[in-house]
Amino acid sequence: MGALSTARVLLVALAVIVLASFLPLWVSGYILGLLTLAYYFGVFSMAWDLLFGFAGEVNFGPTFLIGTGAYTAGILDNLYRPPIWVCLAAGALAAVIGGVVLALPALRVRGPYFGLTTLVAVLILQNFIVVAAGLTGGEIGLTVPDVISISDTTNYEIALWFMAASGAILFALSRSPVGLILQASGQDAVQAGALGFNVTKHKLAAFIISAFFSGLAGALLVFYMGTASVGTLVDITVGVQIIIAVVLGGRRTILGGVLGSVFLIAMSEALRPLGDLSSFVVSAMALVVVLAFPSGLLGLLTRTKETA
Amino acid sequence: MSTAPAAHLEVKGLTKRFGGLVAVKEMALSVHAGEILGLIGPNGSGKSTVMKLIMGIERPDAGSVRINGFEVAGWPSHKIARMGAGIVFQHSRPLHRQTVLENIRLALLPDKLTRLLADPQTDARARAIAARVGLSAVLDRRPAALPFADLRKIEIAKAIARDPQVLLVDEPFAGLTVKETAAFCELICELRDDGRAVLLVDHNVKSVARLVDRVLAMYVGERIAEGTADEVMRNETVRRVYLGGSIETAARPESSFSDSATPFLAIENVGVQYGKAQALADVSIHVHAGEFVSVVGLNGAGKTTLFNAISGLLPYSGEIRREGASLRGRTAASIARNGIVQCPEGRELFIDMSVRENLDLGGQHLPPAESAAQIGWLFELFPILRERQKQAAGTLSGGEQQMLSIARALMMKPKLLILDEPTLGLAPVILEQLSKALGRLRQTSAISVLLGEQNVTFALPHADRVYVLEHARIVWEGTPARFAAEAGTGYL
Amino acid sequence: MTVFWQILIDGFAISSLYALGATGFALIFGVSGVLNLSHGALMVAAVVAAWAAGNDLHVGPYAGAAIGVAVGFLASLATYFAVVRTLQRSRKIREEEKEIFILTATLLWGIMIQELIAYIFTNNAKTVAPIVNGVVMIAGVRTPANEIFTAIVCWLTIGLLWLVVNRTRAGKAVLAASMNPRGVTLLGIELSQVYVVVWAIYGVLVGVAGVLLGMFLGVSSYSVGPLTASAFAIVVLGGLGSVSGALIAAYVVGYLETLTAYLISPAYRTIPALLLLVAVMYVRPRGLLGRR
Repeated sequence: MGALSTARVLLVALAVIVLASFLPLWVSGYILGLLTLAYYFGVFSMAWDLLFGFAGEVNFGPTFLIGTGAYTAGILDNLYRPPIWVCLAAGALAAVIGGVVLALPALRVRGPYFGLTTLVAVLILQNFIVVAAGLTGGEIGLTVPDVISISDTTNYEIALWFMAASGAILFALSRSPVGLILQASGQDAVQAGALGFNVTKHKLAAFIISAFFSGLAGALLVFYMGTASVGTLVDITVGVQIIIAVVLGGRRTILGGVLGSVFLIAMSEALRPLGDLSSFVVSAMALVVVLAFPSGLLGLLTRTKETA
Repeated sequence: MSTAPAAHLEVKGLTKRFGGLVAVKEMALSVHAGEILGLIGPNGSGKSTVMKLIMGIERPDAGSVRINGFEVAGWPSHKIARMGAGIVFQHSRPLHRQTVLENIRLALLPDKLTRLLADPQTDARARAIAARVGLSAVLDRRPAALPFADLRKIEIAKAIARDPQVLLVDEPFAGLTVKETAAFCELICELRDDGRAVLLVDHNVKSVARLVDRVLAMYVGERIAEGTADEVMRNETVRRVYLGGSIETAARPESSFSDSATPFLAIENVGVQYGKAQALADVSIHVHAGEFVSVVGLNGAGKTTLFNAISGLLPYSGEIRREGASLRGRTAASIARNGIVQCPEGRELFIDMSVRENLDLGGQHLPPAESAAQIGWLFELFPILRERQKQAAGTLSGGEQQMLSIARALMMKPKLLILDEPTLGLAPVILEQLSKALGRLRQTSAISVLLGEQNVTFALPHADRVYVLEHARIVWEGTPARFAAEAGTGYL
Repeated sequence: MTVFWQILIDGFAISSLYALGATGFALIFGVSGVLNLSHGALMVAAVVAAWAAGNDLHVGPYAGAAIGVAVGFLASLATYFAVVRTLQRSRKIREEEKEIFILTATLLWGIMIQELIAYIFTNNAKTVAPIVNGVVMIAGVRTPANEIFTAIVCWLTIGLLWLVVNRTRAGKAVLAASMNPRGVTLLGIELSQVYVVVWAIYGVLVGVAGVLLGMFLGVSSYSVGPLTASAFAIVVLGGLGSVSGALIAAYVVGYLETLTAYLISPAYRTIPALLLLVAVMYVRPRGLLGRR
């Protein structure tokens, strides 16, 4: 991906986005709804890829950050009914704090232990939500009194441009000098340290940025759907779907995450006639991609070869 | 040497333990500005660990490290780097997904989170550094596409970019051709002439003699000699450690072995590549049935690579034949089952199992009665193992572990036993015992032995023939007596 | 006082079940180096097979159990050959990344199995007809005989495993491979064969644990995630790579859960174990007896 300059990639992406923004003219509200979900999912994936692809940390619980952001925003709205943007800001902030709290123990350990820490965080959040049912709506879920809009088109455009902005920021970050340091921290921490870089500091920064976007997107999602529940936002399977989206789309590309999300949602939709078998088929397809095409869809498209 | 010590590295009492093993013991050295100190020692002597301790990649258990007068022992590596230290690692470690230019640019970046826009000045400086080391032509390529020497150049470029006052260089010449080595020497000298203090680590005194101003020799974690290159090479202790004492030989003539037409093991024009480095180039040796052959060479010469190729653990070009039949395509385990058994450098014991269990595993291809008889014979060869048979292998001393490793290999009833540096890190007393055991083995059985050693005194008395492996090639072949006369003195 | 005995007995039964599952998980990690995230799926597959055998084929409980174990065995081998071995031998992935790929792939594989089970058998809870019925009195507590049976079979199986690993040739090769794979190759033992043996043993362990779980508590396709998570957590608590650590940790977790369920509330049963895990990861990430 380094062959294409940042500016050129962003221009192409912008063109695609502008095109996509005209979709409501031709496409039904149902499909717009699907795409809206896909776009928010895309932000989850991009934020995850920043952490994984660059900082080199496999986070098995991105839903911890998403859930924290979503539930904070939702609960705040339920309790005090402040303007939506306040809830969103609170959600993002809560997710950032959650990210820091998670990062501190997680960054001290390596490999499978890191993954486990993130997994445990999700489990704890799940348990907390269920136990504090009075506040959070427990297993049934939370409903928020306010939504951003009831128009499919408005929601679609908001999601689209939010994703575009997030993607632009995250992508530019990945190509910046800081992004280079992050990559070094992830690929070869010893070398990065010997070159004078505080690896922990940079990985923590990556965590915070990932948390910010995840939490904000989660909060926005709550105000789009009007509800939040453990099953939709905090479950481990949702986290897995994010990971699949990134691996499918192409790790370490940031933009691959969007491709993967759209592909996954499109696939699930296309396979809907299969009923319950559809999840099986999607997982099976994802597995085949992991086994046979480790560089993902974007890797296939740009024909970057992974050298073993 | 400059009169005012502007850049200064001073190490005192540096100690590092890994579990029960003392890797570095009370190490002391100092390097002044505009000086290159060579730190030499065989593999396992602790020199790489010393570098890592200075650079903060490992934390010392005791001791002091001062850079320009500031105490930095125990600091994290990035802080030590920012204090003015830089390291060129032994193995190239570029970022594989980035271009050469980006790799160099990385080294120029400050440790800030706020650098969001690329600085054109950084770019220009990176290009200038690339030009200095000779990488201008390949700036936009990725490391995977580059030859070995270019990867090493990237490492030097990164070091130059950091502009360190104390530069640590770890075994810089491994894998380079004569011309490339000369170019590297020049670069390092330039860096030294800039007024930096350079600590150069290598196992081969000869290759660094021209480059360094002073030499410090290490063995088993301790310093054993210091002075000019000549002084150190003539030092008694150093010579004993590298060459051992006086050399007696007891070779049987090659014609006395019955299989002269088709030797038991024939290695023909074998080459091995590790990534970009040529680990073995056009190596041809042979071993007759019942013969004892020593391959002598320093670390990095390629002995382990050769043995791993024979054992089927590595891909290689060329042919390796056992009694005429090619071994290519056979799994490593089947080569071992068929009588070519290796006792590797790392011993690879099952540390939580007892001595007896380790031996039993070696004999699991044999019927139980035969296995028991074999163990009996080995306990005669290595009496200490009988004493310790119920102990866990991990609790044995280094020498005992080596004996166990050899005994375990012998349980397989091999036709050819490959021994890779059995004397590594062992005290001289243990070497005596090992040597005796090897002698008995040679006299009482028809086994062929291929011994790889840098300790010439250990290798020669048992050998029927000697090969010298240097920088991936066989450079000498002959009888032990001739070796002692010709190659021995120039060996260090 | 009765409560004390109830807790002791119930806790023992559930801990033994955890121990069996966790031992398998630890074994696979110790020898093969793989954190098998499809662990729960394999267990549930075994249970569902036993249930289906009883429900659709109307076989007796013994045959049903045997079928369940066989399915666990086959599923484990399928996991190795189709997923793990493919990735381990892949030339398209860098060595350092293989671990992450194997984690993701086993996770996906587990989800596939879970979804397939949900599709074919629905996601309702299933229980398997127990082999042993009735009630026994222990220290004044009415205990289902099935519970005692579960604990006994778990320990028999673990004992059998110990015998195999320490007394048979194949088992010793497996043990050696967990300490030093290179050493095993140098002694003329094909590592690829050792791996097949390990996954086969694992399959039996998972099959037995699954069938017992089905008889004791029942499972549904939703159990897949929690089963994997608890095995993972126990093995980390005990120390990755230490089978004896996993055994101890299983009892710690099992008793913590039982105590919580009895003394506080069944709804909170998983929480203390989680908190313990967090504490251990903060203070001693290597786990109780961890090596790696």
